[in-house]
Amino acid sequence: MREYDIVVIGGGLAGLMAAAAATKRGKKVTLLSLGSGTLTIGGGIVDVMGYLEGGIPAATPSAGLLQVGEGHPYKKIGRPAIEESIRFFKEICEQEGYSYIGNLDKTQWIPTAAGTLKPTCLVPKTMDTTELKKADKVTVLGFDALKDFYPSLIAKNFKKIPAFAQKEYEVVMVDPKLSEGRDVTALDVARWLDTEEGLASCIEKMRNVIDSGSVVIIPPVLGTRPDYAVKEKLEKALGCHFIETASVPPSITGLRLRTMLVRYLKKNGVRIVEQAIVAKSIVEDGKCVAVITEGVDRERTYYAKSFILANGGFYGGGLLAEPGKVIEPIFNLPVEAPTDHELWANYSLFSSEAQPFAKLGLDVDEKMRPLDANGKVLLNNVYVAGRNLRGYDFSFEKSGNGVAIASGYQAAMSV
Amino acid sequence: MKKHHNNPDSCTACTVCIANCPVTAATRKFRGPKMVGPTLERMRLSQDDIEPSLEYCSNCKNCDMSCPSGVPISTLNMLARAKYFKNRKRSLRDWILSHGEKMAKLSAATPGMANFGMKMSRGILKKIGISDKAPLPAYASKSFSKLFKNLKQTSYPDKVVFYPGCFINYNDPQVGMDFVAVMQANKLEVIVEEDFVCCGSPLVVNGFLDEAEENAKQNVQILKKWTDKGYPIITCCTSCGLMLKQEYQELFHIEGVAEYAKHLYDADEFLLDLHDQGRLNTNFGTLNEKYMYHAPCHLRAQGMGLPGVELLALIPGLDVQDADAGCCGISGNYGFKDDKYDISMEIGSGLFKAIKDSGRDTVVSECGTCRLQIGHGANVKTLHPLTLVRKSYEAYHK
Ligand SMILES: Cc1cc2nc3c(=O)[nH]c(=O)nc-3n(C[C@H](O)[C@H](O)[C@H](O)COP(=O)(O)OP(=O)(O)OC[C@H]3O[C@@H](n4cnc5c(N)ncnc54)[C@H](O)[C@@H]3O)c2cc1C
Ligand code: SF4
Ligand code: SF4
Repeated sequence: MREYDIVVIGGGLAGLMAAAAATKRGKKVTLLSLGSGTLTIGGGIVDVMGYLEGGIPAATPSAGLLQVGEGHPYKKIGRPAIEESIRFFKEICEQEGYSYIGNLDKTQWIPTAAGTLKPTCLVPKTMDTTELKKADKVTVLGFDALKDFYPSLIAKNFKKIPAFAQKEYEVVMVDPKLSEGRDVTALDVARWLDTEEGLASCIEKMRNVIDSGSVVIIPPVLGTRPDYAVKEKLEKALGCHFIETASVPPSITGLRLRTMLVRYLKKNGVRIVEQAIVAKSIVEDGKCVAVITEGVDRERTYYAKSFILANGGFYGGGLLAEPGKVIEPIFNLPVEAPTDHELWANYSLFSSEAQPFAKLGLDVDEKMRPLDANGKVLLNNVYVAGRNLRGYDFSFEKSGNGVAIASGYQAAMSV
Repeated sequence: MKKHHNNPDSCTACTVCIANCPVTAATRKFRGPKMVGPTLERMRLSQDDIEPSLEYCSNCKNCDMSCPSGVPISTLNMLARAKYFKNRKRSLRDWILSHGEKMAKLSAATPGMANFGMKMSRGILKKIGISDKAPLPAYASKSFSKLFKNLKQTSYPDKVVFYPGCFINYNDPQVGMDFVAVMQANKLEVIVEEDFVCCGSPLVVNGFLDEAEENAKQNVQILKKWTDKGYPIITCCTSCGLMLKQEYQELFHIEGVAEYAKHLYDADEFLLDLHDQGRLNTNFGTLNEKYMYHAPCHLRAQGMGLPGVELLALIPGLDVQDADAGCCGISGNYGFKDDKYDISMEIGSGLFKAIKDSGRDTVVSECGTCRLQIGHGANVKTLHPLTLVRKSYEAYHK
């Protein structure tokens, strides 16, 4: 029988990070993945802790970490491991030529396509706002026919932000001549800039509308590949600074990050099985022996010494909501949920409280092993990571990718 | 989650499939999987509507592989295409490309017509819409079934049934012969049914769904007969494999597919399973050789990883590197079409570059048409993994 050291279930950010940390430790890893995870939808910006209970912005991600409640995954993982996980993540990015900027001691406020600012922790260099903050005059550049990015709206809304109100804004447009066929998305423009001809033609068009030395806000279009070639070439040719905004799906930053991490894993010998639907597990004496995938043809059994469960939450498929209860389908681990469905959601609009529903998930110990209601470890060699963990509302507190990285790392280090 | 629940309503409009569709990346004429598949399917359920850009979908299945909600997008596209052609006249081009099996039989029966596809002037082919640049396959001088009939196998109590498929049968019979040799080296006897017909993949992609269903009915009956008797079925072509086990279930309602699918194997996976059971012949001779590997999309879609890479890793000395550069662009006969040739080459360009950059002159891949496209686009030699397995067994005895 082929037996691996670790089988990771789920190829979202948590699973990818878990696999990366495990191979770094010299483990033989199989990653069972299904679909391409939330990264391509949600994006490659790493939030760690943006808002505290009550909707108060955390002074820094670090400060936010100190203030999370007892049940929060960060509390279990602990500060040293969170720091190490962020360091490890940045190390991979650096090594792969797509480095991220930021650290736990600083909140980065990055522009969104709606002209608001959003707090986050780590961003690719294409979203570095250093020059934006310094600039007196800002150019907002849109592309003709591009959906979901309205430069004048951004300029108008920036005027309402105190720190940005004094700046002067100029709106300019470039026509990528991509009007043939379907609607134009940021992905289309990014692919256009991936090509030499596209880039050259874009530089020519930009020259006509922006001055050298400008600070330019653009949609996330600086290439689809995990490198800074497009950004660097544009900036060199035009003598400008470009800053991408956060994006709408499909997310270019998420696509780049995913491509990079998958490439890193393959280079390091991780066996990746795509379209692997894990349906059940074989458990003997409190240990998982194997997990079983269910294809249209037949079941396949994957044996390993340890397993990392990183298959997402309600959205990813790791948790299933049924009337009055929540189910974790692979190990049938307990998920504590109020039997009264009404209590799952916080119905008051614009609430400053997190959603109870979003906080449902698996309870774990400090090693990320699943616990029963009495705090007893249920499975000795199974570790949980990512969106299926209990005790946090990523959307409310802005912590999604941060928890994925920290818990994926912690799970792999605990094995 | 069952993968064959043709329900467009599980689409959450997340757009991930669009980001992963190689045709969408290569041409702006295609509106992309989400629009063409699930979004329009919802409308099609109520009215007879058609999205003109549907013709650009190559059925490569990268959308299905990326979808977080398990929507069988490519199959929705193929069903819609069939519906579109239901009452419309078909082009000669599409007929020829879909009926490779009939064409092969015709040319074999009429000696003067041998290599009809190749000999017929490329100019004439171009007139009917087949690219004069595309890497059209030549017919082998002797089909696999002919070669197989003349082969003396050693008889063993354990037997497997081989489904060769059209490409191996008519264009690349050596792969089939290598397969038989490898089975024999593992003390297995190979059975080939004369009555197998084309799996229907080329028919489905060109909208000849009814004919594909007729083929399916015939194959299902034979496959079921053998697996009922306890024999495993093996394919060496990943598109045939995918069709027989998965697409039949998604496209048609034929009894028995789910039953035999349990016993239908890709050849590499079958050998790895033998290895797991401790009964693979591991008398592998050393091959101090370097190759690139290309994973066909229709293999990746099958949820079994890359068994070819794992299998070849058992051979001492062999250095096989996964090119890992996505779709080659050919998608069966898609890249043969005059209006799709450039798209197909554009899709494959990343892979061709990765191969050229590697400096390796031979690429290993399970799929016959992938091999044609790679040979054409990257100007390299190509092989099926089993050819190397056979070579390694032979090297052991030298
Ligand atoms: C619209 C949106 C925007 C967001 N924006 C941000 C942001 O700006 N910053 C930020 O930090 N976070 C953001 N997030 C949150 C963040 O994306 C997630 O919290 C994080 O990516 C979760 O990662 P994960 O690996 O736990 O889960 P997922 O990414 O959901 O991955 C789970 C994987 O497991 C697979 N899987 C499920 N079931 C099985 C099975 N049975 N067998 C095998 N595989 C299985 C799934 O297919 C999936 O690939 C956003 C989320 C959304 C939805
Ligand atoms: S099958 Fe391939 S070409 Fe067709 S929509 Fe899906 S990804 Fe695109
Ligand atoms: S990936 Fe799946 S769910 Fe997302 S838009 Fe495409 S079909 Fe719909």
